[in-house]
Amino acid sequence: MGQITFDRSLYTTDAVEAAAAAYAEYADIALEQSSDTVVAVVGAVRGHDRDTIEHSFCNLVLQETVVRMRRPATPAAPESD
Amino acid sequence: MAIGEQDVQSEVPESRLGVVLGRDHASFDVDETVYPLEAIYGGAYLFVDRCFVFLSRPKPQVVNVRLTSRGAATSAELEALAGEFMNEMLSQAARLRLSQATTRIREYYTAAALRAAASAPSVDDLLAELDAEELGDDPLEISVPWDKKGSEPQ
Repeated sequence: MGQITFDRSLYTTDAVEAAAAAYAEYADIALEQSSDTVVAVVGAVRGHDRDTIEHSFCNLVLQETVVRMRRPATPAAPESD
Repeated sequence: MAIGEQDVQSEVPESRLGVVLGRDHASFDVDETVYPLEAIYGGAYLFVDRCFVFLSRPKPQVVNVRLTSRGAATSAELEALAGEFMNEMLSQAARLRLSQATTRIREYYTAAALRAAASAPSVDDLLAELDAEELGDDPLEISVPWDKKGSEPQ
């Protein structure tokens, strides 16, 4: 069982959750959150070796984080008179 | 060893770039006061197709970048990979600063272009203007074709 620690100043929690959901087919991933980190506990893996799945999972978390960081903020809804 | 932990036994700090080289990975610290996080993200985003990228924060204002090869790689290849990442980070940082420095003028030109487009007459307006136009006298006979002029009796 592997533990991967994502620092919340570098990775968004949303991104870790999205990547964990995307990898549900390949691994059992449980998330534990603290104020500074999100820890992904990788349980049983399926289809590929553990290293490949864990590293690919990290890449996806990074990609998801970058995409979310670059997404422009949703404009506020216009106020109704 | 879990991802993100320092692998002291398999790492040998031998790179001339200051990169710590391991069996299948290279890692180095980035000063966030020199390279903004957006530049690190920009470089990382371009490298996820080539290798596995993991970021960690060993101390405030410092980001550790760990690049793990997808297959077997020599120390020279790992060092080259790290060097390319550093170059890309520098490029991203320069582009980011240029973008920030020219934000105001780009906004100005965009606004000016939009204003000009909004005030430009439409095709229908131009046609209506042509229809309404009254043609005056033509003392120089500009409207008469040259071959007609030549055939006129002297």
